[in-house]
Amino acid sequence: MIAMIDLLLIFRILVFPGFTFILFLALFCEWIDRKLEARIQNRVGPIVAGPGGILQPLADFIKLLTKEDIEPRDTKKLVFRFAPLAAFTIMIFAMCFLPIDGASVLSSGTSIAESGFNGDLIIILAFATIANFLLFLAGWASANPYGTISSARVLTQFLGYDIPLYIIALTPAFIAGSLSIGVIAAGVPYILLAPWAFVLFIITMQAELEKGPFDVPHSESELVGGLETEYTGAKLAFLHLTRDVQVVFGSALVVTLFLGGPSGPVFFGLDWLFHTIWFVLKLIVVVAISAYITNVFARLRIDQVLTGNWKILLPAALLSLMLTITLVTWVYHPFGIGV
Amino acid sequence: MADAKTWARVKSPWVLHFNSGACNGCDIEIVALLTPKYDIERFGIKLEPSPRHADVLLATGCVTHQCAERLKRVYDQMPQPKFVVAIGACACSGSVFEGNYNVVGGVDKVIPVTAYIPGCPPRPEAIIDGVLKLLSTISTPPKKEKQVQAHRAEPALAEVKQNGKQ
Repeated sequence: MIAMIDLLLIFRILVFPGFTFILFLALFCEWIDRKLEARIQNRVGPIVAGPGGILQPLADFIKLLTKEDIEPRDTKKLVFRFAPLAAFTIMIFAMCFLPIDGASVLSSGTSIAESGFNGDLIIILAFATIANFLLFLAGWASANPYGTISSARVLTQFLGYDIPLYIIALTPAFIAGSLSIGVIAAGVPYILLAPWAFVLFIITMQAELEKGPFDVPHSESELVGGLETEYTGAKLAFLHLTRDVQVVFGSALVVTLFLGGPSGPVFFGLDWLFHTIWFVLKLIVVVAISAYITNVFARLRIDQVLTGNWKILLPAALLSLMLTITLVTWVYHPFGIGV
Repeated sequence: MADAKTWARVKSPWVLHFNSGACNGCDIEIVALLTPKYDIERFGIKLEPSPRHADVLLATGCVTHQCAERLKRVYDQMPQPKFVVAIGACACSGSVFEGNYNVVGGVDKVIPVTAYIPGCPPRPEAIIDGVLKLLSTISTPPKKEKQVQAHRAEPALAEVKQNGKQ
């Protein structure tokens, strides 16, 4: 009996909804991102690799894996080798806490609300921060002026934007009355109860993922390849994949906190299948919103990014939290809404 | 596995653009490839900013003595397997600048070239055609030819270095 459970757990971690599923989900989301970007720019986008170019990210990934791996002389070898891999591992691990098929990967709870433990919201936000820090180390160790500048910008940006991100992520936690992701995802979609927090969270997420108008650390035409400049081969492949998984993680966090996660109508007793379908559909919507913001707005300067963080987004996040607590205490909970 | 490798390489060639002394005509045609009209991303081709990320070097220009060593260095920074496409009459042979005092004349005098796309400047359609023909040869790379060209590159570089010292 114990062996059976272990086999199920191993399957959940390695295949579905764990490593393999998240990997292909990340590549799929990159394809959606590139396709939308191309359509917004009146182009076609990748179309030759697979139907509609859907295998393009996979082709890029395999190609990078098979390229020669160059290590320039002045790099800090240990960090240079392991930072991309460690960042990727931590992002995948953080994804495992999200209730993709109605339960988090590491649990076998029967309902969405039981799929986590109290406080795992804080843990996955911390994982996201650690992954960003590892990306900073990766750029710093590559002994390249462009990589160094890009790393410094990554550090400046994510240290600042983490604060409003954590504060706004508390909004759904306050309404649900729990820090467990499962309980938050099992409630009504909190976008209905706190739409202002949803808008703020999307903006903060763009900055945290270094996308959209906040892509100062990667600014092409200024910083060559950003912190990836010196990376080749498999290391570059994993840096790219880390970016993809980060985008999926950010979008999945928005889905879980504000759009009700995997909740939705379930038929034929196939709970896990329909939960996955709802989760992925909501994920695609958020990825599309994110891609739209990225392509419509022009890049901010680094000083504007910092001003926007400390002078606008942080006060706005605090105001949002005050509003939420007021509403929760005197409106939502007394009338039994969103509990 | 080998099939998957070849498939991935053919479907995802990332290019780097290097101007070794061109008049900017060919460079504008290369940039035109990225515009909505020609949209070379259809074939998975992306313009990469760093030679470390690139598979194909799109070299333009007649290679001035100043640029020759830089061109060689950029080529050396690219990871294997790598390919070079000489774009424009100047890059193919030196064109009207052949024999000029400050010009090496042709990209293939410095680095091995896999495909030549003549024209002054070549039309974007011609560049797409050339790159796709290059991709079709990736599955069976012409090894002997490449070695011969690489051999040819050495004396030219030595000459360049000597000229630099004078």
